[in-house]
Amino acid sequence: MNTPKLRVICASVLCAIFVVGLFAGTVSPYPYAKQFRERPNAAPSSTHLLGTDSLGRDLFARLIYGTRVSLLLAPAAALLATLLAGIFGGLAGLVGGWCEKFILAATDLSMAIPLLFVLLALRALLPLDISPVLSVIATFALLGLLGWPSSLRVVWAATKNLRNCDFLLLARATGCGRWRMIVRHLLPNLRPVLFAQFWISIPVFVLTEATLSMLGLGVIEPLPSWGNLLRGLEDISAVTANPWRLTPLFLLALVVICFQLILPAQEETA
Amino acid sequence: MTSESPLLSARLSVDYRNKPGVLKNLCLEIQRGEIVGLVGESGSGKSTLALALLQLLQLKGAKVQGEVVFQGENLLQKKESQLRDIRGRQMSVVLQSPLTSLNPALRIGTQLKEAWRAHANGTGDQCHAAVRAALRSVSLPDSEEFLKRRPSQLSVGQGQRVIIAMAILHRPALLIADEPTSALDTITQSEILSLFARLNRELDMAILYISHDLLSVAALCHRVKGGLSTLNE
Amino acid sequence: MPSPLKNLALTILLALAVPVRAQTGGELHFCLHGEPKTFNPILVDDEASENVRYLTGGVLIRLNRQTQALEPALSTSWKISRDRRTITFHLRKGIHFSDGTPFSSEDVAHTMRLLMDPETHSPTGDAFRSGEGTAQVQTPASDVAVITFPAPIAGLERLFDQVAVLSAHSPKKEMAVLGPFYVADYKAGSYVLLQKNPNYWRHDAQGHALPYIDSVRLDIQRNRDIELLRFRRGELQLINRLDAEQFERLQRENPAVTRNAGTGLDAEELWFNQSPAAPLPASKKSWFGMTEFRKAISMAINREDLCRVVYAGYAKPAYGPVSPSNHFWFNAHLEDPKYDPQGALRLLAQAGFRLDNDTLKDRAGNRVEFTVVTNSGNAAREKIATMIQQDLSQVGIKVNVVTLDFPSLIERMTRTFDYEACILGLVNTDLDPNGQMNVWLSSGENHQWNPSQKSPATAWEAEIDKVMREQATAPTEKERKAKFDRVQQIAAEQQPFIYLINKDVLLAVSPSVGGVAPVVLEPWGLWNVDTLRLGPAPELGAQE
Repeated sequence: MNTPKLRVICASVLCAIFVVGLFAGTVSPYPYAKQFRERPNAAPSSTHLLGTDSLGRDLFARLIYGTRVSLLLAPAAALLATLLAGIFGGLAGLVGGWCEKFILAATDLSMAIPLLFVLLALRALLPLDISPVLSVIATFALLGLLGWPSSLRVVWAATKNLRNCDFLLLARATGCGRWRMIVRHLLPNLRPVLFAQFWISIPVFVLTEATLSMLGLGVIEPLPSWGNLLRGLEDISAVTANPWRLTPLFLLALVVICFQLILPAQEETA
Repeated sequence: MTSESPLLSARLSVDYRNKPGVLKNLCLEIQRGEIVGLVGESGSGKSTLALALLQLLQLKGAKVQGEVVFQGENLLQKKESQLRDIRGRQMSVVLQSPLTSLNPALRIGTQLKEAWRAHANGTGDQCHAAVRAALRSVSLPDSEEFLKRRPSQLSVGQGQRVIIAMAILHRPALLIADEPTSALDTITQSEILSLFARLNRELDMAILYISHDLLSVAALCHRVKGGLSTLNE
Repeated sequence: MPSPLKNLALTILLALAVPVRAQTGGELHFCLHGEPKTFNPILVDDEASENVRYLTGGVLIRLNRQTQALEPALSTSWKISRDRRTITFHLRKGIHFSDGTPFSSEDVAHTMRLLMDPETHSPTGDAFRSGEGTAQVQTPASDVAVITFPAPIAGLERLFDQVAVLSAHSPKKEMAVLGPFYVADYKAGSYVLLQKNPNYWRHDAQGHALPYIDSVRLDIQRNRDIELLRFRRGELQLINRLDAEQFERLQRENPAVTRNAGTGLDAEELWFNQSPAAPLPASKKSWFGMTEFRKAISMAINREDLCRVVYAGYAKPAYGPVSPSNHFWFNAHLEDPKYDPQGALRLLAQAGFRLDNDTLKDRAGNRVEFTVVTNSGNAAREKIATMIQQDLSQVGIKVNVVTLDFPSLIERMTRTFDYEACILGLVNTDLDPNGQMNVWLSSGENHQWNPSQKSPATAWEAEIDKVMREQATAPTEKERKAKFDRVQQIAAEQQPFIYLINKDVLLAVSPSVGGVAPVVLEPWGLWNVDTLRLGPAPELGAQE
């Protein structure tokens, strides 16, 4: 197996993307909001590497800045959601009884409540003139806080399976304490599940952010994000005419794949 | 090898919530350094007894009544934290199937170290030395390579030896072996049996050997308690 | 075997296959963009139903969508009394409904009674309700109808363009019609099929019966992309109102099918919230209330760029409430302001604002910053907002753009007044300023910048109230026009609405349809449906 080599490649690709995102200001040829109104919808050229969008903004610059927004915040939100799912799902699976019933009922309830209305209510509560940066952070925090129910179900099921395992019984029989058992024996077994939930959440959140901006909650103009760059792909015929518009999608896929190929490495460090 | 009080003296009744009377008034006495064989048919409550002695049955929703006097103290009246101190240090257990008893996500070395750390606050080196000594005493390689293996990379016999190594890390006074050889082929079986005999000799460790296999019990044990079913008086 | 015979057969076949350009007959096929809510013409309130009403209903007076003049239809002539309360119609004789029932003044009386009956809740009837009481209809002869209203109505005769006459006696009730087509079949959610009305009153110059087309199939299709795809496949022969992007794509593909009817009546506009109930800081309220501030914003917006970038050039800058394509009512004497950021800064300086390191500050030192809301899902409006954001950054104003779902936006606009500025479109279907009464009167609900006022908040709003009411009662159209010109002038001076653009009305018409002359008024390409002809469908650009 040449997985180590592959991992190195993936890691360096990710690092490169992160670094470019972090130093967007120096890498990017233009400010992300600058409108070159003389050449909207331009094709890629030496002045505009990825062409321009319908307002004449340089797509390369927007992609780089969008990387910064999405790639820093989507994983943070995914981490928050997975953490919540892990804690409460694990608790439900381990403790059982009324605690399990309560947590699962709460999960089902929050899955049954149409998220849209919750978000609308939240939007109504927030002031209109929050700065773009604040709105970005609020958006992803919201995604993290609201994105846990589906992951929770998975974690709960996995924990419940593990709860009656012989190895946990044996760990108890060797005199292992409760917390040590959770941290040292249970968590390593849940890790693949948690990591999978985490990786799955990232692209989901990147895209959800895009739909949130429809409600006035997402990353708002003129700040770019992968989400609102991807919204430009809604019109299929426009994509066939400008295939380079697919770059953000390609980048999103690349990042998710890279993250996933690194995953086994994490598992083996236990 | 004689002492005024037995190492363990138990009188137990166990009821499961949906299956009452699994064990009724079972009496058992084990002296220090003694190997006691316990024979019973499948389903006669052998595993139940093993877990009941360690006070691990409550987790499964069972009700245990009677007394388990171990080294002069009734375990049934002890708190969970006190019990934890006894489990693995003074009384440990080897379960039936090595494949499911080992944590699939952890390396062999990690699991052994975890078991050691449960009762010792030594340095990493001390821990490492203890683990390697335990592995040697069950005739397993103590190489780094072996320590880095995962359970899936072991044979069944090796797995069982690892579990035995884990059980004897803290030189317990009593080792409960619940059908430790039933998953093994005959050659490995006899190797494990002689391992038990040797550990008993070297560490002066009492063993409660639970099995449905009369032959192995006869080969190993000093004394045999009759079939569990007949104990239900 | 005998080859001459074979040849002959071939010749006959070829002769049959030669496309004969059809002069009459055929089925016109296009899409409605929503479910028609009713086929009863007096209850019509939505665009799809309005389309069906236009195609099926017979009216006393028709507004010629091309010349924007009123023409006799079921009436040969009409006369309005001096007090503008009574209108007398002389009706065409020998006309029958689609089911054969004869048409007479009784039908007009019946229609007016239904229309004015408060129980009917007729949206069309609302326009006639000028005062307390109901309309009286006298029928001194079978071809004369005299309608008297309780109060004078401005632009009365124009309103009859919306009134499709119903039969008083036909057993088919509202399904018996006087227009070019009648509803023959309807499948909810799927289509409406119209058949040629054999009793339609109009004939062409040669005396041939109209309409030329046998039937019209209207598919109910909300998805505009699918509509365009079906048009390109040749399944549809007409699309009313394409958006600029679709239009441009189609034009690249097949310029022969694209038709630009010219600048439309609908406008996009920006306004500031001037409601005293708005939960806004006092500083912002004072900016939004300043004429100079609003005028400066208007001057700093580059409308030419909006037209070019957002609408691919298929729009014209808008400066007032009336589109230049509204020939009669447009005030041509107002000069178009120029895009002038420097001028805007001068104006702002006069009002006490100053530019400090590229940021505009008011007299008290507050940074000038506001949030523009618009409805989400409207790509053009979002682009407009983003471009205005950049334009205003040139004069040191920071603009935040927030898109909200429509119900939330309406909630903020009409109930909580919790917004600072808004971009929305104004839909204008009526050429007459009376249609905008609700917008201009300070007591009006659609007086968006400060709705439903008990008494006018400013002197200029008071003047608009006065002039708007005067135009509604002025005896002649010329006097009305003078009054409404004044309203347009005040609007230009005060900029309560900052008008941005008027979109072009863009259509796609298959070359197989003859006689199409698209107009900017509803129903756009179909206004002369009775004289359209269908030829063989040539290949369209659907081969991908």
